[in-house]
Amino acid sequence: MKPVVDRLEKEYQGKVEFRRYDVDKDAEGQKLASRFNAQYVPTFVLLNKDGSTAQTLVGEMPEARLRAALDALR
Amino acid sequence: MRGRSWIVWIAVVALVAAFVVAVARPKSDPAGLPTSGNVTNVQLLSLQKSGARVLDVRTAAEYEGGHIAGAENVPIEGFTQAAQAWDRATPVVVYCATGARSLNAAQWLSANGFEHVYDLTAGIVAWDGELSHEAATAVAQAPSEPTKLPVFYEFFTGW
Repeated sequence: MKPVVDRLEKEYQGKVEFRRYDVDKDAEGQKLASRFNAQYVPTFVLLNKDGSTAQTLVGEMPEARLRAALDALR
Repeated sequence: MRGRSWIVWIAVVALVAAFVVAVARPKSDPAGLPTSGNVTNVQLLSLQKSGARVLDVRTAAEYEGGHIAGAENVPIEGFTQAAQAWDRATPVVVYCATGARSLNAAQWLSANGFEHVYDLTAGIVAWDGELSHEAATAVAQAPSEPTKLPVFYEFFTGW
């Protein structure tokens, strides 16, 4: 998924903040993953500006699916 | 008499050696605490003071309702995944409301190589110390905080 998310991160720069965590190495990522109940990798959690959860996507995702979720963020 | 004095000297040396061993032993257990197992409120505080991590395995909402000061919130639902990369040599104390969820967490930790695992078996319902009502750590609080931009979180592993 890395090349896809890398591409999206560039494309949505200034519109969406990307926070990416390797849960094997990053303690902060582990805490956040627990907080979001992310049991599997990869898991994508998309939050609106007001902090509400817009979508949680689990597993490998087609780029178009991620793009649609990003476009739906408020 | 000379023969007896040698016996006395040997006895003295033996006593000194025994004393040194007795003094040296507590180095691995400075607070006189068990190396693993069930702990009381007082023992939890001693362990925390000596560097043990204290983990609240209840939900975020329960945690925010009141928790032991300095405890980290790692809900039982995502506990095993979160614990995979933790340092197994650092002592860990787990607790929940009544001891049921923390027992599961403690058993998992022990079965997965954690060397010093402690369980506050009575749970926080029997806690007689101060409770902190601070929200979860900044990290855990982040998701509910409004930000300037929408946020995209990705949780992945390198493999």
